[in-house]
Amino acid sequence: MTLMKAYLRGLWEGKFILGYTLLLSLTLFIAAPFLMIALRSVGKGWFGRLWLPPQLTLDWYRWAVEVGNIPEVMKNTLIIGAIAVIVSTVIGIFAGWAFGRRQMPGKEVLMAIILLPRMIPPITYALGVAKIFYTLELVDTYLGVAMAHVSVCAPYAILVLSATFEGLDERVLEAAGVCGANTIKRFIYVVLPLILPGILASMIFSFTHSYNEFTLTLLTYGPNTVTLPIRTYLAVGDGYWEITSAMAVIMVVPSLLILAMIQRRAKPEKLVGGFKGV
Amino acid sequence: MGAGNDPPPPFAAAVQRDGMTAFWRTHQSTLVTVFLLLPALAGFFGLFFYPMLLTVILSFRPEGHEVGWTLENYTRFLADPDGRWVILLTFILALGSTALSVLLSVPLSLILREKVRGHQFYRLMILVPLVIPGLIGALGLLLFWGSRGWFNLFLLQFMPFVQRPVAVNYTIHGLTMFYVWLYFPYTCVTTMSALESLDRSIEEAGAVSGANRWQVLRYIVLPLITPGILAGSVLTFMAAFGAFSVPLIAGGNYRPLAVEIYKQISIPIPARWSAASAIAMIMGLLQVAFLTLYMRFVRRGGGTGGPR
Repeated sequence: MTLMKAYLRGLWEGKFILGYTLLLSLTLFIAAPFLMIALRSVGKGWFGRLWLPPQLTLDWYRWAVEVGNIPEVMKNTLIIGAIAVIVSTVIGIFAGWAFGRRQMPGKEVLMAIILLPRMIPPITYALGVAKIFYTLELVDTYLGVAMAHVSVCAPYAILVLSATFEGLDERVLEAAGVCGANTIKRFIYVVLPLILPGILASMIFSFTHSYNEFTLTLLTYGPNTVTLPIRTYLAVGDGYWEITSAMAVIMVVPSLLILAMIQRRAKPEKLVGGFKGV
Repeated sequence: MGAGNDPPPPFAAAVQRDGMTAFWRTHQSTLVTVFLLLPALAGFFGLFFYPMLLTVILSFRPEGHEVGWTLENYTRFLADPDGRWVILLTFILALGSTALSVLLSVPLSLILREKVRGHQFYRLMILVPLVIPGLIGALGLLLFWGSRGWFNLFLLQFMPFVQRPVAVNYTIHGLTMFYVWLYFPYTCVTTMSALESLDRSIEEAGAVSGANRWQVLRYIVLPLITPGILAGSVLTFMAAFGAFSVPLIAGGNYRPLAVEIYKQISIPIPARWSAASAIAMIMGLLQVAFLTLYMRFVRRGGGTGGPR
């Protein structure tokens, strides 16, 4: 509504007409696919040249839950995501502390090497990961799929956390020491509150990555570890657009919630570094 | 650890422990650093380096064999006109969508810089394609631009000269547009942050000196934000070059490298791992080579400011 009002006001004032036209078409460009998915997921008998579905129904969601086995799939996705988040955050905390707070020769080079997976298309190392996991029989286990996700999540966790730890001011710690806090107290009351936002950010990044990850999952999943993106992909292959749309809605809502949650805290530039399983 | 090199004297255990303690004292800092880096290094070698190594080795093996060396996997793909077309197609899609993203991002960030009404909403809007899975985006785009989607409905009902639905899905321009939808935020966000960190007084100085708005934009603003734009476009290019899920479901007959790799191990029985590995190596090398060239170009003088 505000949008329409702003547009009309812009027209009225004769300024920014071009600008608002561009913004409005951008909004349409980005939002229209979601609208189509949402409408398709509740529409019934929507054929031919109709702008809106003639009947509304929730049948497709029922089908998605019953036939697509969404609760089971959701459980898989969450378990795999949790393992991937824990592993990559632990890796990130250790390596981030080393990169952010400790002196070492060749730090830049080492960091560049460890962050190398971001430079290479995931499918290239996904092949090798899949091959190794087949021999180790890690394919189609929660641990295996989660470890495959770690290869994508961990570089981002390291990146975010080393920036966080680097920003930690030594003088604050010294001040706490002077005021009589011992190491444990200093850690709990001073260090932890300062680094917690960074750790949370890294966890959210990692989880979103794991949640969206498609390439590596496709090469390591099995019947017991179908995740949401894979389930949606399989449904696309089956050709039932309505059910696929229902699954897509179920899948996209948490992503948008996370975006709404973090958009006030995190700067968009940081988001660009993260996200996307391609 | 390393102190055990001397020939073991009597009371070896005690001396060794002393040696260990001394070693620990002198190298404590290094050891802690190494210990902290250990999980990351393990992850790197286990989940990236060793898989890549395996892919390299596999790409030189004859198909389905564990021994022997051959270049056949590479030569077969590169000699095949289809193979070369796949490489060309990947570049067309990636470069096309990168260029379009830049064309879209610059005006957009110029507008949003003016803090127009609801600019926060638009900023959030731009981030949406980043956080949703590419698969879902592709699905929605297919629905919207399809022959029964709203785009064609609009054309058929309001454009008198359009008689039949316009084909967008499964065409090369459609695919490029889908890529733009998914990957332009990388460029846009970096461009916006470059614009916001720009000092307004420079522009005012230009305006005072008698430059009109267009000249200020052309000769002052654009050169200054070029490094930001280029840095963002690298991200878009990388994402578009490695795109997999989108062309997989929305590509139709257009299969870029990533999809071609997957086809090699998913369609033929038995799976052709060596061929897939060879294509993967070609893809990785092309991306690294292109990025190196691009970075060099950016450093050389893609803008007066240069990247920090």
